[in-house]
Amino acid sequence: MSENRWLATGNFFTSYRDEQRIFLTHIDRLVFIGFLVLLFVWPLFIQVGNKYMLVIDSILIAIVAIYGLNLLTGFAGLISIGHAAFVGVGAYTLATFSRLLGSDHVLLTHYWPLMIIVAGLVGAVFGGIVGLPSLRLKHLYLVIATLSFQMIFQWFINFSRFYDQGQTIAIGRVFWFTGKVVRKQHYFFWYYVILVFVIILGFAVRNLLRSKHGRCLVAVRDNDRAADAMGIHPGLTKIYAFALCGFFAGVAGALHAYLWRGVGFESFLLHHSISYLAMAIVGGLGTLVGSIVGPAAILMLELEMENFAEFVGHYFTAVGDVATAFRPLSFGLVIVLFLMFEPRGIANWWRIIRSYFKLWPFRY
Amino acid sequence: MSYFFQLVISGTVVGSIYALSALGFVLIYKSSRVLNIAHGQIIAAGAFIAYALTVWVGIHIALSFLLSMIITFFLAMSVERIFLRRLIGEPIISVIMVTIGLMSIIDGLIYMTPFGSENFSFPEFLPITPISFGGVSMSWTQLVGVIITFAMIGAFTWFFKASTVGISMRAVSDDQFASMSIGISVPKVFGLAWATAGLSAAAAGGIIGNITGLNFDVLHSFGIIVFPVVIVGGLDSIFGAIVAGIIMGLIQQFASGYLDGNWGLFGTADVLPYVILLIILLFKPHGLFGIHEIERV
Repeated sequence: MSENRWLATGNFFTSYRDEQRIFLTHIDRLVFIGFLVLLFVWPLFIQVGNKYMLVIDSILIAIVAIYGLNLLTGFAGLISIGHAAFVGVGAYTLATFSRLLGSDHVLLTHYWPLMIIVAGLVGAVFGGIVGLPSLRLKHLYLVIATLSFQMIFQWFINFSRFYDQGQTIAIGRVFWFTGKVVRKQHYFFWYYVILVFVIILGFAVRNLLRSKHGRCLVAVRDNDRAADAMGIHPGLTKIYAFALCGFFAGVAGALHAYLWRGVGFESFLLHHSISYLAMAIVGGLGTLVGSIVGPAAILMLELEMENFAEFVGHYFTAVGDVATAFRPLSFGLVIVLFLMFEPRGIANWWRIIRSYFKLWPFRY
Repeated sequence: MSYFFQLVISGTVVGSIYALSALGFVLIYKSSRVLNIAHGQIIAAGAFIAYALTVWVGIHIALSFLLSMIITFFLAMSVERIFLRRLIGEPIISVIMVTIGLMSIIDGLIYMTPFGSENFSFPEFLPITPISFGGVSMSWTQLVGVIITFAMIGAFTWFFKASTVGISMRAVSDDQFASMSIGISVPKVFGLAWATAGLSAAAAGGIIGNITGLNFDVLHSFGIIVFPVVIVGGLDSIFGAIVAGIIMGLIQQFASGYLDGNWGLFGTADVLPYVILLIILLFKPHGLFGIHEIERV
């Protein structure tokens, strides 16, 4: 498509290769690269306090986790209410190393990119194990399998002496080429690391969905018998989807462990699983944009809710525990309202806005 | 040996309550194929309403028990009317996620009340001295709870076997289109299924509240333990839910009685149901009494 796409009146692809391209024009590519450059350079010019940097880092970690959940729920059509447990598996992989070798062992502090990948692989193995019932079952039952994984995970961590009964297990500070990453640079440093992971994994997801290994997920979601007839094994594909989801969750868990410099039981509970699900739904299931917008929207909402609950708590001290009440209440409302009125999530707004400007000044 | 029988007794008590909790869950699943993740929250709501009526309003406990069942009946019906009616025909995945959202909302609403953070207990209205028989003891609350549970289960069984409404609910669960063609209003049946589920949930909540005291975490966990129960019993079998509930209660009591403290194990009662669930899902997915209509993939 060499002619100006902004003046074209429709799609004029002449080959599947054309249609599958990520960037249709050079302008698109330039805009995207410009955006990436902006993401990399803004912290150099704008000074942000550690508190807000932590929020931004958490959003980026949640994006990595939601990549996985979106592959599982959005593309493969399997609900998981145990996603926090998968993230926890990644984090506790690091905790295992920390307990066995000591929190400042060279493996954890110098070879941290390797450790993050290892955590992802362990997450993938656990994902595959939880997905095993899918050899015999359809999605309704798999929800319950993920729920029971969440409960078993919580029990295991809570009662295991090796993991200190869920107390925080420290992870040492990592080293970069310039030396130890000190406290002042900590959030700054991890912003870049996590950003790189978000970008690489984002491209991985995007490319996965252009290949047969990703489209088999969609095929099984839409009609498993037809997929079976085309030679895609539905059960194995679902296990594969769980393993993929587990990989992303494991990477997110490892990043979480490094960012907080410790692994604690209370970050991977059932209600975290529900907020992950809320992120995926609000962002838009089955879209890449959704997995980026959703975590940002939900975590900002959470932050606002904390402030709001504090504000309300001053005036209505008698009314129960307002701060703990607002969190589930707002999440539940957001999930239900989005499912009822905008099941395609915020990504759909993005699509509407984009097509409006594309067609402007015409309406359709 | 009396220790063993003591465990059998307490396991049966807990198990029959599980059965009653699972009953409501199965009702909803049977008629509308919706996994109601928010069932534990409805149980908790029923228990708290019963407590509020008894202690804060001052109605006699038996009457407030009945009233709480009626209130929850309409509450669950309106939940169906407001949130789930408009999702009929949507993919089942989004309906399940709506119930997950509902779970969060009801959680939030309960945290707003004092019930979210504090513990309460019903006033004693039965003799406090337990019934002892050969070294095995059982409190009056437990005995009455079990009697009420079995009465409720019997009533529900009769309701489905004999009454017109019950038969139409079974018809809808069997085939929605066929039942529409003979003049059954499917949405109405869905509403009724939720309402009866709410009723049984309130009954379960009231009984749990009387036996263990009102603690939101405990009541909430009864809603999650429902999943292993219904999977073991077969998702769409009421009889299966009853049998599996009692089995699960016994397993939990035996686990905490014999496993805890040995071999460095603790809290096994909390996790064993889920391990069993995963094993059942792997090897016998339709459970003990479920209909073998699960499509193999």
